[in-house]
Amino acid sequence: MPKLNTFQISVRTGVRGVDMLPQWVINGFPVDFEDVRGSTKSGDTFEATGSPGSFPHTLLLRGPDEGNWDIEETRITYYPNGEEPYTVRLGAVTLDAESDMNLWYERPQAVLDV
Amino acid sequence: MPSWFSKVFKSEPAKPKPVIQAPVRDIRSGGIDLADDKPPPGRHTPRKVVYAPVLKDAGGQSGRSPEVRIKARVEKGNRACAFLLDRPVLEGYSAWFPYAEAATESPLAQALFAIPSVDTVLIHGYTLTVARKPTVFGDWDQLAKEIGSAIRAHLLEEKPVITHAYLDAIPPEETIRQTLQRVIDTEINPGIAAHSGAIRLDRVEGNTVYIEMMGGCQGCAASDLTLRQGVHEAFRSALPGLGAILDVTDHAAGTNPFYNQLPAGMR
Repeated sequence: MPKLNTFQISVRTGVRGVDMLPQWVINGFPVDFEDVRGSTKSGDTFEATGSPGSFPHTLLLRGPDEGNWDIEETRITYYPNGEEPYTVRLGAVTLDAESDMNLWYERPQAVLDV
Repeated sequence: MPSWFSKVFKSEPAKPKPVIQAPVRDIRSGGIDLADDKPPPGRHTPRKVVYAPVLKDAGGQSGRSPEVRIKARVEKGNRACAFLLDRPVLEGYSAWFPYAEAATESPLAQALFAIPSVDTVLIHGYTLTVARKPTVFGDWDQLAKEIGSAIRAHLLEEKPVITHAYLDAIPPEETIRQTLQRVIDTEINPGIAAHSGAIRLDRVEGNTVYIEMMGGCQGCAASDLTLRQGVHEAFRSALPGLGAILDVTDHAAGTNPFYNQLPAGMR
C-alpha cells in the first residue's frame, strides 16, 4: 500500500440528492474535503480534494446523516507518493445514514490478452 | 504530519484517571472484546461499507466464440498471474497443485507444469492462477502467452481438466468443515489471538473454502501474509485435497486492526 498524498473526487448525483457537505473518512477518522465545488443535490456534480498524506488502510465517503443519496457515478484520481497518479471510476450506489462508500482502490492491475 | 491528523487528535486538559474495569473477553472469539465496539472520541461511528461497482472502459468483444479467449492479470507481488477464461474450467470444485508431482490427476495442470517456470497451479471456476518459480523475475508477457497457449490448446482438444479419481478423492463437505474448524480452534486462533485477531469458517462449497478474518485481522495490512503463510499452510497440511481458500472479509470495514487498538486505559 502506497502513501497517498492527495486524491480528487467527482461525484455525480442521481435522482435523490442531499443538501450537505460530504466528509471523507480515513482509518476511522472523518475529515472535511478541500477545494469544494458543485453540490450533492439531485443531478448536480460534487468535486473536491482530500489530503490524507498517510496510508489509507480504510478510505470512505461518509453517507448522509439524513435521507438517501443516489450516486450515479464517482471518479477518483489518486496521487500516491512517488508514483504516477491513476484514476478509478465507480458505478451507481445509494448511501444513507447507516452506510459509507469505499473509496480506496489500489492501482488496477494491467490485463493482457494471451 | 498530515493536516487532518492534528484536527482529530486535539489535545485535551488532563482529567483524573477513571477506575478501569477490565473488559470480559470471550475466548471463543480469540480474545477480542466483541461487546465493546464504541469508537474512541473523534473517531467515526462504524457503518456498513458499500462497494460501488468498478467501471471499466468499454473494449474487447463479448459473448463466447469458438476461440478460447483468455485474459491474464498479474497479481500483486508479481509472483502469480490469474488467467481469466470466457468459459468455466472447473465447476463445483477447485483444484490446487503445489508442485508437478501432485498433478497426476489433472491433465491440464500437467500441461502447465511442462512449462519450466511454472511453480503452482490453482484451478477455480473461470480462473486458473499460476505462480512462477521464485527464481524467475521480470515481466510476465512471454510466460503468460506461453501459459495461455497451453490452456487454449488443452481446452480446444477437449482433454479433461481433472480425472474422476481426483473428484472421488475429495472428502465430503461436512468432513472438510469439521477438520478445518478443529484446525482453526486449536492452531490458528490461539496463534493470532495475541493480535486480537480471529478466523471464522464462513462456508464450504465442494472443496472450496471461504473464510472471514475478524477482529485485529480485519483491515490489517498484514492480513494477506497471515492468510497465505498461516491459514493456507495449516489448512492444506490438515487436508491435502483442499481446493481454493478464499477470503470473504470486508477489510474496508475493519475498525479494530491490532495496530489501531488503544490500550484499555487510553480509550
